[in-house]
Amino acid sequence: MNENKPDTTGMETLTADWMKSVADFWSGLNRMWLQPQAGPDPDSQMSATHSAKNSMDTAIRNWQAVSTAMSAPGSVESLLKSAGAMPELLAKMAQHTISGYLQLQEKWIERYGRISETVEAYSFERVDENMFRSWIDMYETEFRQFYQIPQLGLTRSYQEKFNQVMDKYNIYHATLAEFFRILTLPLSHTAAVMQEKVGELAEKGALPDDSQKYYQMWIKILEGHYMKLFQSPEYTLTLANTLNATSDFTSARDAVIQDMMSGLPIPSRKEIDELERELYELKKRIRTIEKGRQT
Amino acid sequence: MSQPTIPVDLILSKLAENAERVQSRAQKASEVLLEKMDTDLAATPSEVVYQEDRIKLKHYKPRTKTRNATPLLVVYALINRETMLDLQPGRSVVETFIDNGIDLYMIEWGYPTRKDRFLGFDDHINVYMDNVINFIRQRNGVDKINLMGICMGGTFCVIYSALYPEKIKNLITTVTPSYFDTDKGLLHVWMKQIDADRMVDIYGNIPADVMNFGFLLLNPARLMIDKYVGFMENMDNKIFVENFVRMEKWIFDSPDLPGEVFRQFIKDCYQQNLLVQNRLEVGDKRVDLRKVTMPLLNIYGKFDHLVPPEACEPLIRYVGSTDTENLCLETGHIGIYVSSKCQKEFAPKIVSWLKDRDVIPSLAKTRKPPVRHKTLSTKSTVTETAPRPTANAKNSI
Repeated sequence: MNENKPDTTGMETLTADWMKSVADFWSGLNRMWLQPQAGPDPDSQMSATHSAKNSMDTAIRNWQAVSTAMSAPGSVESLLKSAGAMPELLAKMAQHTISGYLQLQEKWIERYGRISETVEAYSFERVDENMFRSWIDMYETEFRQFYQIPQLGLTRSYQEKFNQVMDKYNIYHATLAEFFRILTLPLSHTAAVMQEKVGELAEKGALPDDSQKYYQMWIKILEGHYMKLFQSPEYTLTLANTLNATSDFTSARDAVIQDMMSGLPIPSRKEIDELERELYELKKRIRTIEKGRQT
Repeated sequence: MSQPTIPVDLILSKLAENAERVQSRAQKASEVLLEKMDTDLAATPSEVVYQEDRIKLKHYKPRTKTRNATPLLVVYALINRETMLDLQPGRSVVETFIDNGIDLYMIEWGYPTRKDRFLGFDDHINVYMDNVINFIRQRNGVDKINLMGICMGGTFCVIYSALYPEKIKNLITTVTPSYFDTDKGLLHVWMKQIDADRMVDIYGNIPADVMNFGFLLLNPARLMIDKYVGFMENMDNKIFVENFVRMEKWIFDSPDLPGEVFRQFIKDCYQQNLLVQNRLEVGDKRVDLRKVTMPLLNIYGKFDHLVPPEACEPLIRYVGSTDTENLCLETGHIGIYVSSKCQKEFAPKIVSWLKDRDVIPSLAKTRKPPVRHKTLSTKSTVTETAPRPTANAKNSI
């Protein structure tokens, strides 16, 4: 049985000795610290350094106590066990991280693969399958929660608002990128359709010799593609998402600016808004009273 | 069977010709662009006769000795500016009106600031419009005035006429959305998805740049590419450049839209189509279109991509008036007012329609009664007679 038990006796003794010497060191330091110092005006020095000495004394005593407790055989054994388990813990963490990353990569590759799939002319059925949408999905499932970690302490509400700005900013940017990507789709579609058309005309020997005619053909096809795109539910949804993301980011940003302005000797927008609303309601009441008097 | 060939030689020679032409055009264009240009808008003299908050009432004196007995008030939309009606001499609805004896008033809504964002339909219709109309009635010594609305301003005019029919003699709506439950125009499709509450709560007023970007997106190929290609091709033509710059100035001279107006327009009109159901509430009043009993002329553009005919033409079926006319012009939302072709059709039609109805009561019996319920295309052929729905049919929409 003893053979199967890991031999930590040597290590335990070594650690216990080291802990003990650390405790002795702090104990000696403490004694030195508490001895009165020689100087030209001990009274004034005493009053100036009294609180600092007290604090130092407390800190040293605490550390001495901890060191002594740590040098006890049971504690040393526990410490060594943790150290022994460390590589295993690190390996587990690395395994989770790599596995998560591989999943993300797989998802990216899968989505990215769909981008290269060609879209037929005047057809935008699969406009939602793209890199930016994938990024938003991933951001929302994998990263967003970091900005939602509860904040603590005196500055928690400021930190929380700042995190909100960062979160909304990321969503806003991704949504905007997605929106502009959709807007450029008709251009690439038109280029492809134009190629086909020119090919057909070339085959028939009916290629126009005036560049204006090519432009007219291109703009007409482009217009058709935009009309088709704008009527698609995907576009309408992306537009609504973009507007909502912009509004959310603006709102979060304004909240932070509001906090920053509260320390300045100028009225904030919120205060002016409230004042204006009061004025508006007051004017309305006066108008009603005036109307009542006239009738 | 001969193999078709690509006329490379012809294409290259055309390209060479084009390059020469472009070079010559660029030289002339630099002269044109560096010269002094006349690009002023709204040059017809007017006088501000009434002002309340940011709202101004402009008055244009008729240029003729005889004038119509009833003054006309034009109410523009809160989007863009009324200067479009007086773009330049010779291309001005205002000029046509005052040259034909119309005593013309026009509301200038001004530029709303953040404090104006609480102003909704109630404030604009029951307060500003009503005060302006009372002022004109008093100033001209008349009980009723003629009212003409443009786009959203037309919707305001329809609502006003339903709420205060005793003050309106004739109503003219131009490119006016009143029936919103259609998916013919992109605006109608998109507005159904808009979270108006969220936008108003965040922005206060809706920024003009956001709206303009939205309008450009309605047809980016034409409005963001082709338009400027056209400009490049004609920038050696001073008159063209001046007209183009005038339009650019007008298009991008956009006031922000008061938040509460946007909220109500989107939610009550675009999303719920309350106006034609007689369920729209403005302040403490409910709008009942059956109370629109005055003659109604409803003009719209066949190719209007902002307010399609489907959103305009049903109006005559919902109002209580027995003298209604739909006129569909073969043009778009803006072309109706500014295109050279419509200069000869649009404003002259309004002038003659008003003259037919601008009768002194004692002479009314001797005049020929106006035509009832008709829908006309630009070629003035009757294309449809609009039957009035029953009360139940109205409520069911």
